[in-house]
Amino acid sequence: MKIKRSLSILLVVMMLVAIVAGCTKKDSDGSADGKTTLTFGLWDKYQEPIMRELADMYEAKNENIKIDIQLTPYGQYWTKLETAATGEVLPDIFWINGPNIVKYAANDMLVPLDELVESNNIDLSVYPEGLIDLYTVDGKLYGIPKDWDLTALWYNKKLFDEKGVEYPNENWTWDDMVEAARKLTDKEKGIYGIAARPDTQEGIYDTIPQAGGYIISEDRKTSGYDTKEALEGTKIWIDLLEEGLSPTLEEQADTNAIELFKGEKVAMVYAASWNVPVFMQNEVIKDHIDLTIMPLIKERAATIHGLSNAIAANSKHKDEAWDFVKFLGSKEANEVWAKSGVVIPAHKEVLDIWEAAHPEINLKAFVDELDYAVMYPVSLNTSKWNDVENEYIKQIWNRGITVEEGLKKISELMNEALTKEQ
Amino acid sequence: MKEISSNKKRMQINKIIIHLLLILGAIITIIPFVWMILTSFKTLGESTIIPPTIFPKQMQWENYKEAMRTLPYGKFYFNTIVYTMLTTIGQIVFCSMAGYAFARINFKGKNFIFVLILSVLMVPGQIFLIPQFMIMKKLGLLNSITALVLPGLFSAYGTFLMRQFYMGIPKELEEAARLDGCNHFTIFWKIMTPLVKPGIAALAITACLYCWNSLMWPLIVNTSIDKMTLSAGLSTLSGQHGTNFPVAMAGTVLAVWPMIVLFAIFQKHFVEGMASTGSKG
Repeated sequence: MKIKRSLSILLVVMMLVAIVAGCTKKDSDGSADGKTTLTFGLWDKYQEPIMRELADMYEAKNENIKIDIQLTPYGQYWTKLETAATGEVLPDIFWINGPNIVKYAANDMLVPLDELVESNNIDLSVYPEGLIDLYTVDGKLYGIPKDWDLTALWYNKKLFDEKGVEYPNENWTWDDMVEAARKLTDKEKGIYGIAARPDTQEGIYDTIPQAGGYIISEDRKTSGYDTKEALEGTKIWIDLLEEGLSPTLEEQADTNAIELFKGEKVAMVYAASWNVPVFMQNEVIKDHIDLTIMPLIKERAATIHGLSNAIAANSKHKDEAWDFVKFLGSKEANEVWAKSGVVIPAHKEVLDIWEAAHPEINLKAFVDELDYAVMYPVSLNTSKWNDVENEYIKQIWNRGITVEEGLKKISELMNEALTKEQ
Repeated sequence: MKEISSNKKRMQINKIIIHLLLILGAIITIIPFVWMILTSFKTLGESTIIPPTIFPKQMQWENYKEAMRTLPYGKFYFNTIVYTMLTTIGQIVFCSMAGYAFARINFKGKNFIFVLILSVLMVPGQIFLIPQFMIMKKLGLLNSITALVLPGLFSAYGTFLMRQFYMGIPKELEEAARLDGCNHFTIFWKIMTPLVKPGIAALAITACLYCWNSLMWPLIVNTSIDKMTLSAGLSTLSGQHGTNFPVAMAGTVLAVWPMIVLFAIFQKHFVEGMASTGSKG
């Protein structure tokens, strides 16, 4: 009896708590205290504090605005955004990336920004051209660039010194790199010269354009994987694997290339700029690593990607949202990103500040690569053929199929997916 | 005489083998936990070193401070406990009533409705995500603890489980109670429910574990960090490119200890619950 009574009391209490919890919920528009609340969706815990700093700066100047940052981890971000889009409750402003921009723009989920850009006299030329192209869908701009990332060749100076090999420099060709990798590979110590990564942006998305090829045609209708340039740009990685200069796919599956580099098991690695804070926080390697531009294959190229701030079409506060997005795109806001050193700010005029965040390493390499950056390949349903790429790249790396067969398969399935989009 | 002693010996050897296997199994199960705790005391660099070190070179208590600093743990505990308790109590009340009805009352369309409920078990939970979200939106409950709790108050699985327990009670008991003037509710509440306590315990444990671990729904329905549960809040510690593993592990330790304490207290029931449902929650 006693248990039963206490159980029922507990039950009543809990129900009451639920009701109270339900009632204290603030009006989601937040207009109760005369302030407009703008919701802001993002996915990176490590960038959240900087975003908060910017929001505080903005709130100080605009007393009637409150900015509510909503953090969702990347793994669940797109699921959540899609659910919110279906329910027409997207955050007023949110981060969007290349693979998703066409989908959201084509489904009228975003506010086109051209007219606003024009009427506010915003100079888009301060942002990398490849990024503006990436966020322009059917001739309309849907996002103001926030940051960008490129890939560079990182190397571990300690491992170079041990073998007496000269550090990589800007004049290196692919063959120079392979030659160095041969000298650096030390089977006994389990050290490899370079990691041939089964990756896109940190791998074949760079080497295929460098070999003169492309991933997707400019009209986003055909795949570039069936060209001989694509074959060359992929095969050079497989040659490294075959010669034993790189950890195998299996070894990289256990510990990915970035971790192997951090663990000083590979001397060189193609790694994108988002690794700067990751590497520079690591007390094991941070004092003896550096980077340079990717070695030359046939021509200079580097696939650029970056995030944008976009405004939801169903936002109830579009004007306020635009004003905040405008602020985030300003030089002032970009300076804050630059000083943080977490990401490369989109605004070209603050790049020197960003480079100074880690003066001990050659961050200028990324800025240099900007001159020949090529747009990140996307289409309406990018994820469809991204899955195809991932699957067959793994098989090629595993050498279950030849490079020729694998790329043929990718281009067939990718073309199929692209045809369905039209 | 000889035969008996050799039998005894054989039994002893068997026992040793069984115990060795069990110890091995226990070690394998416990390694991730131990690893989590050890990693939570390492520095970032040490956590990714190859080959890995087993014991931290120096205990980094800062990781715990950092985890507590970046996430509002007080709110997370409160939200998670409220969410878990309400859901568990709701499931016990509603599922046992529904289970009783399906097991002991004859009404028109009973089997049809029961099959309908069971059919819910046949589809993956993700399918309900968007419809549930839309319902919560229409109710104006988005971003609230109520929205967390509401969809989980009743479960098809719990109904099925409780029905099986109620079906196992002999009919004579019900008849005797009826002769004494009991109606359905008193039979349910006074006679039958006390008899299905193991079932209720099993249901409570699975519901508890489910809530404590559920990630997708809390993340989707609630947007502000103040309304998140432990698992959802914890997941924000993983970055897109690289995670601070020591801090994430420290955060995880902070999130799992209540469940470990609960397990230590209710160990017997946990095991019984698992055994009688064949489910790992």
